[in-house]
Amino acid sequence: MPSSIAKPFAALALSAALISIVLVALGASPIGVFAALGEGAFGNWNACVDTIVKSCPLIFTGLAVSIAFSGALWNIGADGQLTIGAIAAGAIGTHLGDLPHSIAVAIVLAAGAIGGAVWGGIAGWLRARRDVNEVISTIMLNFVAVQMLSWMVHGPLMEPSRAYPTSSPIAFAAQLEFYFPPSRFNLGMLLAVVLAVACYMLLFNTSAGFELRAMGRNRRAATFYGIRIPALTVWVMALSGALAGLGGAVQVSAISHRLYEKLSPGWGFEAIAVALVARLNPIAVIPAALLFGALDNGSQAMQRTQGISPELVQVIQALVILIILAFDTPAWTGLRENIFGAAGDDASAVPPVAETPDA
Amino acid sequence: MLRAIAITKRFGRTLALDGVDFEARPGEIHALVGENGAGKTTLMNVLAGSLAPDHGEALLDDHRLQAGSPRAALKAGIAAVHQSPMLFERMTWEENLALGGFDTGGELLDLVAVAARARALAAKLGFELPPAGATVENRSVAERVRLEVLRALSFNPRVLILDEPTSVLAPSELRAFLDLLRNLRTEGRIVVLITHKLAEAIAVADRITVLRRGRVVARTTPAETSEEKLAGLMIGEIVVQPDAAAMQLRAGDPVLRVENLTLDDRTGRRVLDGLSFRVGAGEIVGIAGVDGNGQTELVELLAGVRSPSDGKMTSGGAVAVIPQNRDLDGLILDMRLWENLILARPLREQVTSHGWLNTSRAIELGRELIERFRIRAPGPETIAGALSGGNRQRLEVARAIASRPRVIVAHNICRGLDLAATAEVHRRILEFAASGGAVLLISSDLDELLAICGRLLIISRGKIRETSPDERDPERLGLLMTGARD
Repeated sequence: MPSSIAKPFAALALSAALISIVLVALGASPIGVFAALGEGAFGNWNACVDTIVKSCPLIFTGLAVSIAFSGALWNIGADGQLTIGAIAAGAIGTHLGDLPHSIAVAIVLAAGAIGGAVWGGIAGWLRARRDVNEVISTIMLNFVAVQMLSWMVHGPLMEPSRAYPTSSPIAFAAQLEFYFPPSRFNLGMLLAVVLAVACYMLLFNTSAGFELRAMGRNRRAATFYGIRIPALTVWVMALSGALAGLGGAVQVSAISHRLYEKLSPGWGFEAIAVALVARLNPIAVIPAALLFGALDNGSQAMQRTQGISPELVQVIQALVILIILAFDTPAWTGLRENIFGAAGDDASAVPPVAETPDA
Repeated sequence: MLRAIAITKRFGRTLALDGVDFEARPGEIHALVGENGAGKTTLMNVLAGSLAPDHGEALLDDHRLQAGSPRAALKAGIAAVHQSPMLFERMTWEENLALGGFDTGGELLDLVAVAARARALAAKLGFELPPAGATVENRSVAERVRLEVLRALSFNPRVLILDEPTSVLAPSELRAFLDLLRNLRTEGRIVVLITHKLAEAIAVADRITVLRRGRVVARTTPAETSEEKLAGLMIGEIVVQPDAAAMQLRAGDPVLRVENLTLDDRTGRRVLDGLSFRVGAGEIVGIAGVDGNGQTELVELLAGVRSPSDGKMTSGGAVAVIPQNRDLDGLILDMRLWENLILARPLREQVTSHGWLNTSRAIELGRELIERFRIRAPGPETIAGALSGGNRQRLEVARAIASRPRVIVAHNICRGLDLAATAEVHRRILEFAASGGAVLLISSDLDELLAICGRLLIISRGKIRETSPDERDPERLGLLMTGARD
C-alpha cells in the first residue's frame, strides 16, 4: 500500500520539474509561480477551506468512477449523473420550506442520489440487457443531462421573474449550513469522507465488493463461478451514479442553492483523473481530489499575482496523469526492483504472467 | 546449428535457468523434456527472442541472436509455437494468420489469399480449420494451437520450436503432425519439440535433452534410453500412478442426470444434439472427444453459464466445475490465491457473515488448502499468476473439492501437467469419487480417461454415445472420437 500511494506523488514531483522547464522557457519564475499556487490553495484558513470546497464534488465523482472502474465498467458519465442529481435536488428543494431542517436536507440528498442512480442505472441496464458499451451510453447520457439542465432552467424550473436562466433557490430548510462562516465549510465534506471509507469497506470487506472486483478482473471466471454479471452490472452502475448524483445534490444544497446552466465545470471528467491517480482506491480518492482541488483553487492566485493563465494548471494536471500512467509500465517496475530489490510490495514482485516459468 | 550457451534466467527469487547449454543440429528433431517448472518454456522463450536472459547467449550458425527480440529471431528464421496460444481474441482466424508469412506483404491485405494458403497447408496436415470469418475468442484450445502451428509454418522457418503442441491434438491429427515434423527434418530444418510425453519424444526425436529445475541433467538419444529412464531423470524420483482399480469404485444412485440436452448457437447451428447420460455417486464417467465437438458448451451448460435450448439437467446437490482454460475461465490471475479460492460460492459463504467478508478467515482457509493440496506457493497472499501451471491446477482442484460438491465436472484438467502433477490431480479426483462424489471428466486425452474412468462416453459433433467395455482400446476409441461409424 505505501508504495502504491507514494508513486503518484513521485509522479507529481516529476511533473512539477517538467512544468518548471516550461515556465522558464516562458520567462516566468517557477518558484514564484509555485509559491503563488501554494499560497492560493493553502495560504490561509479560507484558502484551505475553499480548496476543500472545490475538492468536494471531485471526491463524490471520484468515488463514483473508482467503484465503476473496479468492476471494469467504464463509467464516463459521472458528469451527467451529477447533473441529474443536482436537477433532482434543485427541483425538490424548492418545495421543502415547511419541513424541519434535517428532514429537508435528507430529502434533497436522497433525491440527488436517486436521480444519479437512475441515470447510471440506465447505462448499466443497457450494458447488461442489450450489450450496449457503457462508454458510449454514458457519454450520450452526459449530453442528455446537460441539455436537460439547460431546458429546465429556461423552462419548467426557471425563477418566477423569468429574468435569469436559473431556478429559484431551494428552501432555506434544505440548505446545508456553513459551520464556520464566512468560510464555506459544510457537512458535505464529512459526508464525502464517510462515503470514501464506506466505499473502501464495500470493495474490500464485503462479499458483494469481492464479486464486483472479481467481475472487474476477469469477467469470464466470475461468470463461471456463479456471479450474476448482468444484475451486478446494473447495481454497480446505479451505485456509481448515486455517488455522483449525491455530489450534485451536495453542491446544490451547500454551495449554489440553485440550478443554472453548466453547473458542473467538468467534475465528472476530472473525476476519472482523480480515480486513476488514486488507483481506484476509495480512501486515496480523498487526497487525490484534494490535490486537484488545490490546483484549481491555487490557479486563480497564480493568475492574479504571476500573470500565468489558469489553463496552465490544466496542463499540470494532464502531465500528472500522463506521468502516473507512464510510471505503471513494467520498465518502471523493473527499474524499481533493481534499485530497491524485489521485496517491496508483493504484488509487484511477481513477474508478469507471460514470463512465468513453465506453465 | 542452434546453440544456447550458459543461459541463466531468474524470475524474482526463482532461478528458472541455471547455466544451461543446449544445441540442436540441422536435420534433427530435438526433444526437450522436463517437469513443469523445469525451465523448458523459459529456454524456448530465450531462443525465440521473447525473453532476454540474465547471462549467456543464443547463436544460430555462429551468429549471435539479438537477446529479447522476437523480431530478430524470426528474421533469422526461428519460429515458435507457444503453449498458451498468442492470438488476437477479437480478430478472425484469417486476420490472425495474416500476421504470418501467408500474407505476401503487398499494399493491400488479401485475406482471401491468406485463407486459401492456410487451407492448402491445413489440408496437407489434416488440420480442420474454423468456419470462414470466425473470431478466435470462442474457439477451443486445440483449434488455437492448430492456428499457431500454421502461422509458425507460414514463415517457412529454419528452426521451429514447439511448446507442448501435441497435448491438444486428436490421435488422428497427431500422426499427420508427427509426419510433418519428420518432413521438416528431412528438409534439413531444426525442430525443437518441448514435451512431457516421453513416449512421443522417444518415437519422434533424434536426440533428447532433459531439464530438471533449470539445469540440463542428461543429453541422450532414443536408442540409449527408455521412458522409465527419462522419467527418472526428469523427476529424480519415481512417481506412483494412482491405481483406480484398487480403489474399487462402485456406482451408486444417479446424482447428475442429463436428459435430451440440446443447444443451438446464435446462428442456429446445433452444437449439442440431445445428450442424455447419468453419473452415479462414487462414479467417474469420462467423455472422450476431439476438442471443439461441443465439450466447452456442455461444460458451460453444466456450470450454468448459459441455458440449454432444450432438455434438462438435474443434480442431487452442488456441482463444482473446473473449466479447461484455467487462465481465462478458472482463475483470476492478478488476484491473490485466497481470493481465487473464495471465488467459489460455497467457500465464500464459509468466510462471510451477513455480507461481511472475514479476510483473515479467508486467508486462513487459503493456508489450510495450500497445505492440504500441496500447492507450491509462498503463501495465501501470493498472486495466482505467479504460480506454475501445475500449481494453478492444484489450486482449481483444491477449490472444487473444498467446496464439498456432490458432483465435479472437470474439463481437460491435466492438460500441460507433468507426470507428478497429473498423478496428484488424478489421486484427488479418485479420492473424491471414493468418498461418494460423482465425477464427469471431459478430456481429449484417452490415456487419462482409460486410467481413471469407470464408464466412457464419446462425444462427436455434438452427439454422445456410450461405449461398451470391449471398445476400451485406444485405437478403437480414437476412431470413434473422430466420428467414424461402424
